Amino acid sequence: MMSALKRPLKRLLAIRGIGQVLTVTVGLILLCIVFGIMNPIFFSSRNVANLLRQIAPILLIGIGQSYVLITGNIDLSIGSVVGMSTMISATLMTKGVSPLFAVLITIICCLALGLSNGLLVSFAKLPPFIATLGTMTIARGIAQIANNNYNTDSIGESAQSFRDFFYYGKTLGLYNTIWIAILLWIVFNFLLTRTKSGRHIYAIGSNAEAARLSGVNIVGTTTKAYLVSAFVSCVVGLITTATSGMGTMDAGNSYELYAVAASVIGGVSTLGGQGLLFGTVIGASIWGVLQNGLQFAGAPVAIRNIVIGIIVVVSVLLDVIVRSGKMTKKKPV
Amino acid sequence: MTHARLITRSCTAMEGPYIVEMEHISKTFPGVKALDDVRFRLRSGEVMALLGENGAGKSTLVKILSGVYTRDSGSIKLFGQEIQGDLKPHQAQQLGISIIHQELNMCSHLTVEQNIFLGHEQAPLSLLDNRSMRKKAKHVLDSLHMDIDPDTVVGDLPVSKQQMVEIAKALQAQAKILIMDEPTSALTSVEINQLFTLIKELREKGCGIIYISHRLEELQHIVDTVTIMRDGKFILETPFRDLSMNRIIANMVGREIKEKFPRVITPRGKKVLEVRNLKAGNLVRDISLDVYAGEILGLAGLMGAGRTETTRAIFGIDAKEEGSIVVDGKLLSIKCPEDAIREGLVLAPEDRKKDGLCTKLSIRENIALPNLDQLCNRLGIVNRKKELAMVDKVVQDLKVKLASPEVNASSLSGGNQQKVVVGKWLARNSRVVIFDEPTRGIDVASKVEIYQLMNQLKQEGIAVMFVSSEMPEILGIADRIVVMCDGRITGSLLQEEATQEKILEMATRFENKLATQIG
Repeated sequence: MMSALKRPLKRLLAIRGIGQVLTVTVGLILLCIVFGIMNPIFFSSRNVANLLRQIAPILLIGIGQSYVLITGNIDLSIGSVVGMSTMISATLMTKGVSPLFAVLITIICCLALGLSNGLLVSFAKLPPFIATLGTMTIARGIAQIANNNYNTDSIGESAQSFRDFFYYGKTLGLYNTIWIAILLWIVFNFLLTRTKSGRHIYAIGSNAEAARLSGVNIVGTTTKAYLVSAFVSCVVGLITTATSGMGTMDAGNSYELYAVAASVIGGVSTLGGQGLLFGTVIGASIWGVLQNGLQFAGAPVAIRNIVIGIIVVVSVLLDVIVRSGKMTKKKPV
Repeated sequence: MTHARLITRSCTAMEGPYIVEMEHISKTFPGVKALDDVRFRLRSGEVMALLGENGAGKSTLVKILSGVYTRDSGSIKLFGQEIQGDLKPHQAQQLGISIIHQELNMCSHLTVEQNIFLGHEQAPLSLLDNRSMRKKAKHVLDSLHMDIDPDTVVGDLPVSKQQMVEIAKALQAQAKILIMDEPTSALTSVEINQLFTLIKELREKGCGIIYISHRLEELQHIVDTVTIMRDGKFILETPFRDLSMNRIIANMVGREIKEKFPRVITPRGKKVLEVRNLKAGNLVRDISLDVYAGEILGLAGLMGAGRTETTRAIFGIDAKEEGSIVVDGKLLSIKCPEDAIREGLVLAPEDRKKDGLCTKLSIRENIALPNLDQLCNRLGIVNRKKELAMVDKVVQDLKVKLASPEVNASSLSGGNQQKVVVGKWLARNSRVVIFDEPTRGIDVASKVEIYQLMNQLKQEGIAVMFVSSEMPEILGIADRIVVMCDGRITGSLLQEEATQEKILEMATRFENKLATQIG
């Protein structure tokens, strides 16, 4: 009985990076307690619902960035894909295209960008930083020409179902946005931990050459990670359109960095091979709680940025310190 | 080495059908003809030693066979089937070709089980069947008499265990043709014994095994046939028993090597390095040793005895808890490698690619890197003339074979890389030179050159210390041998009195930990 319980626990603790996930989880709980004490409204059901709705998009792009980071690459185009998704979907709907059709076209466009990211990095072997810097600029350009360099008008009455589906509606007492994030998290966590492709994503991030020599398809696997990233960015773009009821050209600005922050706070290694999507949830939550809590505390945006920047650096620094201590002890022969 | 004597050799291999027939294989890399009209054949149930110096083309050949490289010309027949066009890695795998690489090629973040099944996961409908894979991984590890939990993360295992995991991976893949590139370089003698038993079992099952090793002594225990290559060309293929060791070496080198271990006698000078009560972690517990001018001190011991850790602590890589280091009577405070280098104490580390070289930089840049203080003027501008002169001198003194000092360090063969690692220290006036496994994975001729280099340093009155796991080398080159076990010094021998048995006895003098705990 003991051993039956011990084994999964041991296996859990053996997972690389679990340490940081547990540490930041404690950090998240402490943050919530502090903000709760400072302002009781923090825990009101209205604020919690709002908070979760703030966290959802950050979690979604965090999932995408985590996928890419675990392969040992980076996706800088996330924010621009969000903008592109917003502008394409909004423009189509203002032109009278049915919401369902508009969503499909938007998804296809975003996946095409993800595909080119993946192929540029894995097939053409461009450094991911450069490749996605290029596509980031291109995607932002597409967002700008989608409606002739103007933000769109309101997407109108006919798109109410669209706005409800992505933002305003509730299912079982929870906002749909939150449901979308939860469901996609479950799907992508399952794919990452339980499937062959998921295993390969970790493998190529850990040692691409070893993976290739073991018969892992590097091009296919890397491209899948970039497709996931583009897809979740697309969904966040659609949520943004639903939220504001129009398309703005600078939507999603610097989201790619927020996504890196959420991943990294949650213990995903920027060097690849290591990371848990559960950590990304915690990372995105810390992000959201800080934004929300500091806002309640009356801190201006500038202060919020400084605090979050410090949290990113400190959380990674802690991990580096903990791991370097472990490494020197276990230094192999 | 007595450990593998138990294994008897069978002669069934000579009759098996050919499973590999490679004819007229050529491969050119930019500027180098790596393979030139090479023939290679392997029968089922045969253990074939593929021999040659570094740079002879062995690795290139097996990489073509396993699909890592594509051939420029020539034909490949596997199991009697002509391979049309390029052979891809996964195609080679499907045909049952597995390769165990010299440089460990594992995903260090993944677990043992995940590594064993990497690339051929059991995943019906793409869903991983972890339970079944864990069970099978356990089974394979058991068959290797390995007590490793399949859930252990590979990066947490010592190198020798990682090597065994790699072997387990090849077994799990049901290899019919198993290529082993220096499989024993990281193993302990017990593990080598297990490996040889295993090779014998595989041979009985009809596997063909290609065995690449620089440790020629090993071959007699397992090898049926020998293929020798030199400078990218096929030299000969013959049953092993028809060849003497000297003829093998002569064929590999293309000339006779007179002395495997050239020894120079120089009078012992004054004490240069004095280490007292050095403590740094579990593997460096109270180390005291002296090295004199004009002598070579060999540091012997088993894997994990703490020899590498001792050199790291002396050189200032790992933090010292206690202890003093004195060079030429001057007490030094060495907190980092920079301090050590300034005081004339240098280290040529074990892992060339990881610790010894910046592989993406040129030979010139690598040699100049630790000597920039001498090459720069007061403004920090590098004097190109001086730099090139220094590089030319090192390259000539050490007979480094290279196309140009501007090529990447990674493009050199192992032996030549090692010469660069050593050479960059020779450009400055060092007092103590420490080598960690200086000849690991390099060929016979280069080894002799490294020994000659150590002798030269010794003659110049420099204190030389080296760590080695190869007994014949320690016995052949060191003037004095210090043996370590479990982080302590367990004995010291003069060259005249040292034997393999004495060293081994000292290297296994483990403390009775239980007794010390109670007492």
